[in-house]
Amino acid sequence: MTVLPALRLSLLVAFSATLLVAAAGGLAGWILARRRFPGRDVAAALLSVPLVLPPTVTGYYLLVLLGRRGWIGAPLQSLAGWSIPFTWAACVVAAAVMAFPLMMRAARAAFEQIDPRHELAAASLGHGPLSILFRVLVPLARRGLTVGLVLAFARALGEFGATLLLAGNIPGRTQTLPLAVYEAVATGEDRTALVLALCLTLVSVAVMLVAERLGRSR
Amino acid sequence: MSRLEAEIVVERRSERGGEFRLEAAIAGDGITVVCGPSGAGKSTLLLALVGGLRPRSGRIALDGRPLFDAGRGVDLPTRRRRIGMVFQEAALFPHLDALRNVGFGIRGRERPARARAWLARVGAADLAHRLPSELSGGERQRIALARALAAEPRALLLDEPFSALDSASRAALGDLLVELQSASGIPFLHVTHDLGEALRLGTRLVLLERGAVVQSGIPAEVIARPASLAAARAVGTENVLSGAVLRHSAELGCSEVDLGGTVVQTCTLDLPPGARVTLGLRAEEVLIALGPLGASSARNVLEGRVETLVEVGTGVEARVATPVPLRALLTPGSVRELGLEPGTTVRLVIKASAFRRLA
Repeated sequence: MTVLPALRLSLLVAFSATLLVAAAGGLAGWILARRRFPGRDVAAALLSVPLVLPPTVTGYYLLVLLGRRGWIGAPLQSLAGWSIPFTWAACVVAAAVMAFPLMMRAARAAFEQIDPRHELAAASLGHGPLSILFRVLVPLARRGLTVGLVLAFARALGEFGATLLLAGNIPGRTQTLPLAVYEAVATGEDRTALVLALCLTLVSVAVMLVAERLGRSR
Repeated sequence: MSRLEAEIVVERRSERGGEFRLEAAIAGDGITVVCGPSGAGKSTLLLALVGGLRPRSGRIALDGRPLFDAGRGVDLPTRRRRIGMVFQEAALFPHLDALRNVGFGIRGRERPARARAWLARVGAADLAHRLPSELSGGERQRIALARALAAEPRALLLDEPFSALDSASRAALGDLLVELQSASGIPFLHVTHDLGEALRLGTRLVLLERGAVVQSGIPAEVIARPASLAAARAVGTENVLSGAVLRHSAELGCSEVDLGGTVVQTCTLDLPPGARVTLGLRAEEVLIALGPLGASSARNVLEGRVETLVEVGTGVEARVATPVPLRALLTPGSVRELGLEPGTTVRLVIKASAFRRLA
């Protein structure tokens, strides 16, 4: 039975990826909303590319970058002895890269709606950029950020194509729920497929319920 | 008494895409009121002082401590300038109650106690646990004042803080402002386009027009004697007239003022007969008629001769020699229709309520 390991891996991957994306996507959204620098529009477009590209193409790029001879993969291998492809970390990277633009765009829109006078007021009261970010901007952007987090989590949980290319489909190691569903159907294990699908549905509903709560409470 | 001094040139893209240039020299203790029409650069000036906008050149100093000096490469970030800020419509943090808003700039363990003391100080002790959305406009401005001052700034900037309030709240907050200023001893820079506020609150008045200081001095003097047309425009009043109160008529509900050679009726003035008074009259409130006027509610009809007709923006300003020279604003269409030209004899029709007491 591949259900439990797949479920465990999927939850681990989706939560880790969401955590990474919350920080990176939130920060990128804040920078895009509040800083003016040359190439801002190009940067925003490039970072959003995974939304538009077929996931397998994104996965292919990641494999090229992080592979043994890749720009990032080669130094990682020689300096730290780490190899990312075909490990659970690869699942996290693939899911995070795919989910990142959703969080970044939601965060940017949420931060852009905040009256800049609030930041000026906070700064004039002696607060630095980080304090302003966490004590003023994040609370005021809470709804938009929550939406971004839910979308990112959903994307990470359902990620298939990029994960398949970067992490492969190794049962018990890199086989997430969506991959397991695919394999179960492909090999005619209908009962397993059904159980896996129900598992995914249950997790999704639970996440939506939590998100509703977060979005509503003060 | 501490002192704020600035001599800066700011260039920024205006909202319409053009370049806006502000060149201003300001020095003040007490309450300096900065007055001018919208687009004059009032908010740009405040932004530059507080560090939200980088001047092209010049220097800003507070108590002799340089905050910005283009020549020496000094440019302190907003959080180190110790300049407080109160905005139009307060800009309180909407997710924090009044107490937390006031406590936002206070450091240390005594934060709640000191925030409470400040709330009491501005007469808002019972509002501690209200959110900004549950407060009236006047209450919000009280909290905003407390929030800014609780952080112990060395200067306070106020960006049209009373513009959204009714006149009763304005008066009450004005008194509070004067009281807080004299208690704190720090300079207040108060931006407004309300001349009444300048007179009531200001120890100095600075007139800003199209990015330049056109006049500054003691408020009553500046308002009564704008040194230039630009200054008169900045005070929002093309006609500034001085005279003496003749008498009041309770029956007619008006006062008569001798402007030297002619007597006009104004709304009832709260001044004894014989007192000097300065009246403002917007050019667009002066009507021009040619023939004799029939029955009308307007209390004043002055005869005079058109001296010049000058295009002002999309309108035409007629300067008319009556016993006192007056400016009237009209459309090019009515100039044509009435066949106005220099030399035409006209009647100026002015309602009593069009005269505003400036000082």
